[in-house]
Amino acid sequence: MRRVAITGLGIVSPLKIGCETFFSALLSAKSGIRLLDVAFPTGIESVIAGHIDFNPDTYFSRAKLMTMDRVSQFALVAAREAMAQAGLGDFASRSGLPPERFGVSIGTGSGGSGSTEAAYTALLEQKVARLRPLTVVLAMNNAIAAHMSMEFGLRGPSSTVSNACASSATAIGDAFRQIRHGYADAMLVGGSEALLNRGTIKAWQAMHTLAKPHADGAHASCRPFSKDRTGLVLSEGAAMLVLEDWATAERRGAHILAELAGYASTTDAHHLTQPDASGQARAMTLSLMDAGLNVDDIAYLNAHGTATDVGDVVETNAIKLAFQNAASALPVSSTKAVHGHTMGAAGAMEFIASVMALRSGKLPPTAFLETPDTRCDLDYIPLQARERKGMRAVMSNSFAFGGSNAVLIAKAA
Amino acid sequence: MNSDLITLFSETFGIAEEKLQPGATLESLGLDSLAVIEFLFQIEDQFGIQIPDQANPPRTLDEMVQLIEPLMPKTRSVDTGPAA
Repeated sequence: MRRVAITGLGIVSPLKIGCETFFSALLSAKSGIRLLDVAFPTGIESVIAGHIDFNPDTYFSRAKLMTMDRVSQFALVAAREAMAQAGLGDFASRSGLPPERFGVSIGTGSGGSGSTEAAYTALLEQKVARLRPLTVVLAMNNAIAAHMSMEFGLRGPSSTVSNACASSATAIGDAFRQIRHGYADAMLVGGSEALLNRGTIKAWQAMHTLAKPHADGAHASCRPFSKDRTGLVLSEGAAMLVLEDWATAERRGAHILAELAGYASTTDAHHLTQPDASGQARAMTLSLMDAGLNVDDIAYLNAHGTATDVGDVVETNAIKLAFQNAASALPVSSTKAVHGHTMGAAGAMEFIASVMALRSGKLPPTAFLETPDTRCDLDYIPLQARERKGMRAVMSNSFAFGGSNAVLIAKAA
Repeated sequence: MNSDLITLFSETFGIAEEKLQPGATLESLGLDSLAVIEFLFQIEDQFGIQIPDQANPPRTLDEMVQLIEPLMPKTRSVDTGPAA
């Protein structure tokens, strides 16, 4: 089996555009979450969300924008950063990487849900007789992968995974195997989500899993593992990585950031929304076996940590099951406290956070964790970032509604 | 060329009117075939006209104007909004 190198990273998030800005906000526990005014037919409501101030005209021509939902716009901006870091931004410079051996693997939960909503609004509220001709191609989930392949001329395998909150972690894992087993030499991978539209917000509100505003301010409303946590915060964004066959990356002189060393995916087969510790633990254990590592080799774990009552306790128990005696010494944090839950993009975004922690020797904290829930009794790196030099490997957990669990492991290059 | 059409084209795609030469291909102005379809749809809505389906869609700005101009209402302009 071939080794897989990570050579590029890119992020668009409520912590602005770019990986460095993102990671620096994580380390300083600076939240990108705020109150967002949304105009519903019943009036304007303030919703706690991770919304991105994003001007698409900065990045795309108007003609191009006609064909792209917001979810594809985020994806392309993140992909450009990742490809540029990998030294592949310039189409002609892709020496040693034939386009036919370079694929795309993307995760998204809701795809072009903004375009879907716009179509239904036009049809049902504005009573139009016909819809925009591009409604289908704006809304379809695989439009993201299509735009990315066209932008960079990537003609290898392409696929779109919709596994709710584990979508992009699964997409990365699938791409990892494509390279490992020789179906592709490189893959542009990650996830994108742009779900802050009326229908999606109302649907999530109806589930009673969203955070309530915190007394310290809306920015502090997502409080993973905290005694006073009240739920998750919907957020939007995209995160992309360039993966390459190790030997190919070395041959073309690419700067290798880390090794994608292990991946596993399991399913709880238990409940649509209630997670199961044994299914999650099995994913962590299998990913360690896949990477050929022991529990002691993991120096940091980026938790799924959504800040729901049940989710944080079950994940804590799952970590204890998987790591056994090593669990209490393992530094774990949930960065969702500051970037919110980007759903289909979450797995990729948090894997990038893990890779940047590995490279920098700095562990991002769990923001706002002043008083932990007594049932959540691991080392969650409360409030303050921590230095940890010489890390060998890091793990990133992604667990989804529907019982899908995906775990990724990166090793120091 | 029809000035209402050129103004609408310029505003929609953010391209200065002086750059819109009749012979310019739509591709060179950054429009792929889907963007052309979307723009024709927008024109239909804006001017209350129906553009017949084309076996050979317009390739240049001039060809597009030639296609649309005969269908345009004589007294209407961009500012009058969609037909009732």
